Amino acid sequence: MRRFLTVEDIHLAEGDEIVVDASTLVTPQAQDVAEALGIAIRTADGPWTEPTPDRGPDAERARTSLPHLPEPEGTDVLFSSAIVTAVGRNRSGVLGEITSAIAEAGGNIHDVSQKVVEGYFHIILTVQLGDGATFENFKTALECLSCPEDFAVRVMHERVFRFMHRV
Amino acid sequence: MSFSEREILETVRMVELETLDIRTTTLGISLLDCADPDLESACEKVYTKIRHHAKDLVRVADSIGSDYGVPIVNKRIAVTPIAWVGAASGADDFTPLARALDAAAHEVGVDFIGGFSAYVEKGFTKADDVLFRSIPRALSETEHVCGSVVLASTHAGINMDAIARFVEVVKEAAERTADRGGLACTKLVCFCNAVPDNPFVAGAHIGVGEPETVLSVGVSGPGVVRSALQRLGVDADLLACAETIKRTAFKVARMGELVGREAARRLGTSFGIVDLSLAPTPAEGDSVAAILEAIGIDRAGSAGSTAALALLTDAVKKGGAMASSSVGGLSGAFIPVSEDRGMIDAVAEGALSLAKLEAMTAVCSVGLDMVAVPGDTPNDVLLGIIADEMAIGMVNHKTTAVRIVPVPGKGVGETVEWGGLLGTGIVQDPGRFGCGRLYERGGRIPAPLQGYRN
Repeated sequence: MRRFLTVEDIHLAEGDEIVVDASTLVTPQAQDVAEALGIAIRTADGPWTEPTPDRGPDAERARTSLPHLPEPEGTDVLFSSAIVTAVGRNRSGVLGEITSAIAEAGGNIHDVSQKVVEGYFHIILTVQLGDGATFENFKTALECLSCPEDFAVRVMHERVFRFMHRV
Repeated sequence: MSFSEREILETVRMVELETLDIRTTTLGISLLDCADPDLESACEKVYTKIRHHAKDLVRVADSIGSDYGVPIVNKRIAVTPIAWVGAASGADDFTPLARALDAAAHEVGVDFIGGFSAYVEKGFTKADDVLFRSIPRALSETEHVCGSVVLASTHAGINMDAIARFVEVVKEAAERTADRGGLACTKLVCFCNAVPDNPFVAGAHIGVGEPETVLSVGVSGPGVVRSALQRLGVDADLLACAETIKRTAFKVARMGELVGREAARRLGTSFGIVDLSLAPTPAEGDSVAAILEAIGIDRAGSAGSTAALALLTDAVKKGGAMASSSVGGLSGAFIPVSEDRGMIDAVAEGALSLAKLEAMTAVCSVGLDMVAVPGDTPNDVLLGIIADEMAIGMVNHKTTAVRIVPVPGKGVGETVEWGGLLGTGIVQDPGRFGCGRLYERGGRIPAPLQGYRN
């Protein structure tokens, strides 16, 4: 079981080094006191560094079981896709601006639907992200196009829609 | 297209216009192994363990928010009740442990940490006694720490002596933060039938039977439910209302399921529960009272409110239960008065009395929440209010809670600003009559027959 090394342990230590198990958590206060007293804290294999968190006996099961929880239907069709929606005042070239931005950001348009009602357009695009594109960068690049006077772009992950509308 | 236009626009509308969000991702951390005969060492361990486990919580939650385009509003931590952690120290003040919690919360960037708590529904250990005495100072001298105490359960009955002690604690906490409208009391709640996996503050803690670390998610969306009801129109009957709420709750809970799975996976920890609670905020449209009005009552607190709330709570639970195998916590509808603009308007208009609010708590998912009363409310009256609420929970086998603020120096009808999510309180009338003899008798109200199910 993981142990802690506290200031009290430092004061009780004899000599100028303390050898701890690699999984030991040395408190920051203990690290400060040890440094001030010139006491080295190390493991059998070298200097002590903060271990990776041990999340407990159930965490291992979670690691194996979480990826196997059933995903909603249609999972493998569009796993790394984004849904882009844009609304705004209709003007020439607006669809071109959005689609070129998608291409520049590494997206491949899978499907598009566009409507114009009383001078306003709304566009919904399903976009497959290319290998080099991360969702975050893609989202930032697209949402940067938004301009309060012109049109607004929103990017959401396709998995959100799948969880919400498919079982 | 894999989704219809209607489906896509519905989801975008929920997030953009109807304030659907993941209200909290809460990491539960067991602190049982931090117990130490030396209080200073215990504090060091508590600080170190929380920092160790939660250092990536905010980053992971933010990354999920940006990866999925879903807002994750709060990141929080729930820990083992501090009475259990501090017991081994034999200390006579646990305030240093609260400071350690506060420092760790500040360090990892969460807004609240819950668990300055004790279970005393049957009686006090010495550590429980110390915790009670420490609460007023601990909550008034820290920023992020929340406390909760369990005073009753269906299995154990109601510990009236503990309620009397709790009333004194509440009064002192209010006095210590008199300059801020008794703010410390907004971080303190008492329970009947507490749930050990509640991710929402002020009652968040990790109780018995929980794993070493566990990630839970609280989803909210009063605005989404209200809008769905408004679209349904006024001619639809109540069965149609229930069905609409259920379907909407299902969709909202699915979002929680997605985020919970993903957050647990990224943190490498167990996935605890999705708490689907309609948790209002003072923001426009984010109101449970507005849902009740959309169902068909004039104002929150008017005749019909309890029936409408019963329909709402039940439909939310049913929708949530179908959406996730991990539904837990308090799931249902919260009715915190000061945090819900519709509720506070109802108090201002004289529609919502304390008595009606109590009746509504019999069918909501928590209890009397964020209620302001005069600072000079007698102790026996406060005890009576809390005991009534505990009795509702005990007999109905449900969680009930009281978060009440006797606002120092304020009388009935006056307002108090707590700011942010806590909103504005209007001091309500607790009535002219009390229960002095009940207070003086003390003792315990035994468990009801329905508590003996084994």
